[in-house]
Amino acid sequence: MKFYINKVDWEKFLEQISKTYRIYAPQEVYDELSYQLLSPENVNNTTYGTYRAVQPLKIFFSLPQEKVTAVTSQPEKTIVLGVKNCDLKALQVLDKIFLEGDFVDPFYRERRENTLIISSDCYQPKDTCFCTLLDNNPFPEEGFDLNVSPIDNGFLLEVGSPKGESFIASIREDLKEATSDLMEKRERKRKEAKKRVVEVNREFKTKRPFSVIVKDEYASPVWEEVTKTCVECGACTNICPSCYCFLLVDTKDEGKFPKVKFWDSCQHTGFARVAADVNPRAKLYERLRNRYLCKYEYRPENFGIVACTGCGRCVEACQGKIDKREVIKKLSEKEEK
Amino acid sequence: MTENPYLPVEAKIEKIIDETSNIKTFVLKPSRKIKFETGQFVQLTIPGIGEAPFTPSSSPYQTEKIEITIMKVGLLTGKLHEMREGEIVGIRGPYGRGYPFDDFYNKEVLVLGGGVGMAPLRSLLLTLLKNVDKFRRIVLCYGAKTPEDIVYKDAFPEWKKKKKLEILRSVDKAAPGWEETEGLVTVLLDKVKMDLKNSVAVVCGPPIMMKFGTFKLIDLGYKPESIYLSMEKNMSCGLGKCGHCALGKYYVCKDGPVFKYDLIKDIPDIWL
Ligand SMILES: Cc1cc2nc3c(=O)[nH]c(=O)nc-3n(C[C@H](O)[C@H](O)[C@H](O)COP(=O)(O)OP(=O)(O)OC[C@H]3O[C@@H](n4cnc5c(N)ncnc54)[C@H](O)[C@@H]3O)c2cc1C
Ligand code: SF4
Ligand code: SF4
Ligand code: FES
Repeated sequence: MKFYINKVDWEKFLEQISKTYRIYAPQEVYDELSYQLLSPENVNNTTYGTYRAVQPLKIFFSLPQEKVTAVTSQPEKTIVLGVKNCDLKALQVLDKIFLEGDFVDPFYRERRENTLIISSDCYQPKDTCFCTLLDNNPFPEEGFDLNVSPIDNGFLLEVGSPKGESFIASIREDLKEATSDLMEKRERKRKEAKKRVVEVNREFKTKRPFSVIVKDEYASPVWEEVTKTCVECGACTNICPSCYCFLLVDTKDEGKFPKVKFWDSCQHTGFARVAADVNPRAKLYERLRNRYLCKYEYRPENFGIVACTGCGRCVEACQGKIDKREVIKKLSEKEEK
Repeated sequence: MTENPYLPVEAKIEKIIDETSNIKTFVLKPSRKIKFETGQFVQLTIPGIGEAPFTPSSSPYQTEKIEITIMKVGLLTGKLHEMREGEIVGIRGPYGRGYPFDDFYNKEVLVLGGGVGMAPLRSLLLTLLKNVDKFRRIVLCYGAKTPEDIVYKDAFPEWKKKKKLEILRSVDKAAPGWEETEGLVTVLLDKVKMDLKNSVAVVCGPPIMMKFGTFKLIDLGYKPESIYLSMEKNMSCGLGKCGHCALGKYYVCKDGPVFKYDLIKDIPDIWL
């Protein structure tokens, strides 16, 4: 189902529903897009059609720090607005981890169930964006409740789930079905956007897919070389929308067996260390390499999903100026020259 | 909210048995029955201190109480060794996949253990003995540093009387009165004749012993798919979520801790 809604009506609708939902939307703060709580005052500051926000989508579902042995109150009904395709893809990985298998993370699930995702197309990539290198598109095709594509002073609204459908029920009558002309317009804009990302990444194109390169070049000296500037800060994993690793810590808080779950990073020395100081990834380059293997080899083997979606956040966050694209290119060069 | 997999239940320490100078067996009575399969593990919590994975060393047929044999190696295990009978710990689980012992039916089972690695193997052995008619033969090769470092000292005389079970033991360094083998546990493998076509081997022990034990078994003619290894990795959640126990694409807490060697043999650096 696809509709057209003009900007004024859309914002009116948002204002109205902000009484029942907390709405977070990407807005420009100090030259970055960051999720802001929507209010009648800032509702029209939202940026829909450009690149992803600085925060990864996971912050709404897997908190950086959270008590997991105490019963928490029901999470508030939340809407995350303006989510980009790179983050939707990454959320698939987190869903696999936290919602599937023998155990379900009840905290993640509650938040996931109480959150509506309204994605939007990305027409203006950053120069760190590289979704197309991983066969992703800069526009959502699945995994959203609603998608809004900015067009003609309004939005092409696409319903992606039953949740999204009931969400717009109250304004459904006033919505016009999207014309084929509008659909074509969106198609054109999407094609151009994709071309832009491809253009940005021309120099990083490799012949072999990333998954094959990291596997084939496991023993390459390049890993050690590129790690030289890494300071082991963990920014890359914290900022990454598909990194989910965590550590349970027993605390001295009140209650029975108080445990807090913290985001953790496979880049830290002690991450895999076992007793007697045995460490399977004692060297920093081994840990850096692990991150690439996790994203491009292991998770795809587990879930059929490439766990790096090319959002480029880790490229921006890195103190050591390590760019994943350059690393892969370097690894691949030997054979492809 | 539904089941919270992070929350342990209380377990009372009913009894503490000194096995060696740095290994104790804790007999625990959980407030809720924990039914496990042999080879699966649990997470033990000392409130406010920490949590670590251990494999029950008792028989899975004994469900009221769980025995856990623990070597003192660091912070949490050190604290556990200071605890007294009557005190409370937290326990959650069981987790992972244990020994697929019905795969062993009608076969000769070679059990190779070192040090505290005997803990899960005792549970396995008790399970095998309970179903002894289903197996051709059971051979236990067990090694420890010195005779004093042997765990379950009282159990061995009993086990020696069991039909179909042969036991060979070695110590790295003998002491007066030791009449069995001296040397690394792998030397015991030269002394046993197994019907290779009809045999599986189960290995658990310190990393270095796992490595050389496995290589030796391969030399002897065991196929990788007939060797079952208990892999020890850092663990936090035990639930297949936190990422700490990764072994290539596997998570040891959910895909293991017991792995057939052929599944993991091509993953680089598995022995660390
Ligand atoms: C499936 C499984 C079954 C097991 N079964 C048994 C068993 O039956 N019996 C037995 O005795 N042992 C068993 N073990 C091993 C046991 O879990 C470890 O010996 C135990 O975790 C050691 O804990 P510790 O706190 O005493 O050791 P420590 O060495 O103090 O700590 C070990 C843990 O803390 C982390 N750590 C230590 N220092 C730091 C630091 N500075 N920064 C960050 N992290 C740090 C390590 O990475 C590791 O996770 C088993 C292990 C596994 C995986
Ligand atoms: S690895 Fe980097 S580029 Fe890939 S999804 Fe994570 S933060 Fe984005
Ligand atoms: S193993 Fe490393 S790269 Fe993979 S999800 Fe965990 S922190 Fe991220
Ligand atoms: S211990 Fe957390 S994933 Fe295995």
